[in-house]
Amino acid sequence: MREHKLAFAVSFLVLAASVVLALMLGRYRLDFGNLGEILVSIVSGRQGDPALSGPSLVLWSVRLPRVIAAVMVGAALSVSGAVFQSLFRNPLVSPGILGVTSGASFGATLALFVAGNSVLAVEGSAFFWGLVAVTLAYQIGRRSGNSVTSLVLSGVIVSALFTAGISFLKYKADPYQQLPAMVFWTMGSFNSIVWDDTIRGLAIITPGLAILYLFRWWLNPIALGDEDAMTLGIDVPKARMIYIVLGTVIVAASVASCGNIGWVGLVVPHMARILLGSDHDALIPFAALLGGTFMLIMDTLARTLPGGEIPVGVLTALLGAPFFAYLLVTNEKRGGWQN
Amino acid sequence: MKSLLAVSGIGFSYRSKPVLHDISFTVGRGTVCGLLGPNASGKTTLLKCINGVLTPKEGEVRVNGSLLGAMPRRQVARLMAVVPQQMSLAFSFTALQMVVMGRSARLGALKLPSGRDRSEACAAMAELGVGHLAERSFNELSGGERQLVLLARALFQETPILLLDEPTSHLDFRNQYRILDVVSEMTHAKGLATLVTLHDPNLASRYCTHLVVLKDGRLHRKGPRETVFEEKTLREVYGMEVSVHRMPGEPPVVLPGTGAALS
Repeated sequence: MREHKLAFAVSFLVLAASVVLALMLGRYRLDFGNLGEILVSIVSGRQGDPALSGPSLVLWSVRLPRVIAAVMVGAALSVSGAVFQSLFRNPLVSPGILGVTSGASFGATLALFVAGNSVLAVEGSAFFWGLVAVTLAYQIGRRSGNSVTSLVLSGVIVSALFTAGISFLKYKADPYQQLPAMVFWTMGSFNSIVWDDTIRGLAIITPGLAILYLFRWWLNPIALGDEDAMTLGIDVPKARMIYIVLGTVIVAASVASCGNIGWVGLVVPHMARILLGSDHDALIPFAALLGGTFMLIMDTLARTLPGGEIPVGVLTALLGAPFFAYLLVTNEKRGGWQN
Repeated sequence: MKSLLAVSGIGFSYRSKPVLHDISFTVGRGTVCGLLGPNASGKTTLLKCINGVLTPKEGEVRVNGSLLGAMPRRQVARLMAVVPQQMSLAFSFTALQMVVMGRSARLGALKLPSGRDRSEACAAMAELGVGHLAERSFNELSGGERQLVLLARALFQETPILLLDEPTSHLDFRNQYRILDVVSEMTHAKGLATLVTLHDPNLASRYCTHLVVLKDGRLHRKGPRETVFEEKTLREVYGMEVSVHRMPGEPPVVLPGTGAALS
């Protein structure tokens, strides 16, 4: 228990430090004085005031919404990953297992194809089709036995369907106007995030995370298996539906705001497990903290590394994979990650 | 004697293949009842029908007179606890975390186990002599230790009825007796109604005061051990020649007969 408190305290400090650094770093370098100025302006209700100095405007309208979005999306993907891994009792499960990411990517691609570059259309369509994909997978799974295996299989089916749809749209798209936007979108980036995107995301993700946090205890018996959870008193079909709905909604909102950023939802829950164990009491909030920090650091690197901005989805895998390998190997020396 | 667990007319089929047919019996307070039968006789299916993981096609299960069929899982879990067959976990829980999960059905909807729940779980583990394993990873434990931890979890569930599915099947000679010693001791001490499926009729003879014998999904014999545990019944059920031996002061023992199988 004391170890847990220490881990939470350290992670929280790292997150706070990352937020400060992320706000200061970038093409337009800011110092503590600028940070203080913007804080004063927020407190006095003059944020976004054009009379303010340029640095504060950069901080307020460009960096702050982006930093918040990165933390929010990182937390959502990681918590959703932890929930789905418990639900499917499989450490290789990512939040996309039931097709939410391929559905949302299809939705965004479809909007880019039909409606051009309207932000609202892209985000709305991504969110909507993400939910459609999971509803489809859930219904197929329920009609074919309502077991973990049938759900995984129907997720595979639905993902294949929507991935084919994406390929078709890319094939039909204008290679100079539409295709680059589609490709860039499916790689995932916080590059174009403004306050409106962040607020729309927060409006869905914050309550979603809060409810998952409140319901986190049931994930423990559910991780033992359906029958065992039932004999312990859990209404498994009902609980599973609650988790699938919440886990899907927060991921669909994430993908809608910044595109498809892979790897975080798969790996951050493992990092959290290695550090704190599998008790979801601590795991769920810790995965949120760790995921938010990880995503923020990755996004800050993505926009400050020399050579221009690269999509953060590329970076999460490029830097996250070796780091995960390091954790796996060092943890093996301490007795293996499953123990 | 008032029966705590009453099973009447249970029938079940997987798709169209009938597995259980018209099974009725009762288990009283403070009784260990053994469920015997060869492989595929329907023992595990019957256990799942009783705890409601499977819904029986016919018949009903009553606990203390109240019907189980319509009860929500939460309520069922306050009446009967199950010790599952050997399990291993995809994720690493400590032994104590496993035992604490026995409280799931008694926690408020969004409540977490309290420090008191945790210390009571420790006490339940200590009672079975596995208190020192509390912080060990469940997956690292030996088969016997795991079974004792799962039994501690079931007892921590604080139910009047205890169901065990082949608790000895993966255990060595010593641990088979160890786990069943604890089961019968707890059954008597806490006045539980315990139903246990067993492969080995000699273990059943040693620990069960009552026996229910299944064959091909039908009830073959039931009653007190003294009347059920006899050569004719065991020969018919297992399809082999057997001889029952009685030694003074010991429960009867069955041995393979002349060695020649009937079939």
